Amino acid sequence: MSKSLLIISRQAPWSGPSAREALDIALAGGAFDLPIGLLFLDDGVFQLSSAQQPGNLQQKDLGANLQALPMFGVEALYVAQRSLAERGLQDQTSSLAVERLDDSSISALIDRYDQVITL
Amino acid sequence: MATLHVLSHSPFTDSRLSSCLRLLGSQDALLLCGDAVYALQAGSAQRQALELMPEAIALYALDEDVQARGVAHPTRLTLVDYPAFVALSCQYDKVNTWL
Repeated sequence: MSKSLLIISRQAPWSGPSAREALDIALAGGAFDLPIGLLFLDDGVFQLSSAQQPGNLQQKDLGANLQALPMFGVEALYVAQRSLAERGLQDQTSSLAVERLDDSSISALIDRYDQVITL
Repeated sequence: MATLHVLSHSPFTDSRLSSCLRLLGSQDALLLCGDAVYALQAGSAQRQALELMPEAIALYALDEDVQARGVAHPTRLTLVDYPAFVALSCQYDKVNTWL
């Protein structure tokens, strides 16, 4: 039985390579059928914004990769309710099926996985 | 499943510490290294937050990083060297490094 891995992505999408790297780990793990969970925390919740136009920064759209997650078998997708609320994003609808979790649920989530990476 | 949370960034420049403190499990532990030891700075809100953690949460800091920065440390803090850091990493079920 493979060890389960929770990836916590907590950087904004265009501040550096962290967001893309976290996503790459999730997609690679999914491709190898590893039990992967992905949690968006802190500024990481900005990755879920649907109004992004990264072409203006000569960047590829991270959103397309996000949509690929379920296809790669990564369906355990979570977002921190508090981080959304702090950033005024609580009413935003996401095209991705992401479960909203409060602090104690996130604590339990971290507990449940065998390994954790925070980027 | 107890987790050892490892922080290495200054708590005054970003939210790693505050997020980590909110999400700590009841048996988890915190290890401060690098600029994260500035969280021990007396009189800071960060130090106060560390003091208010439940007693069951163990608090560690890397001795050489604390000494290098000249930060005074609270009594509940256990100073560790690198071999002890490795031992702790093995002792807990998993390590969550807040990169």
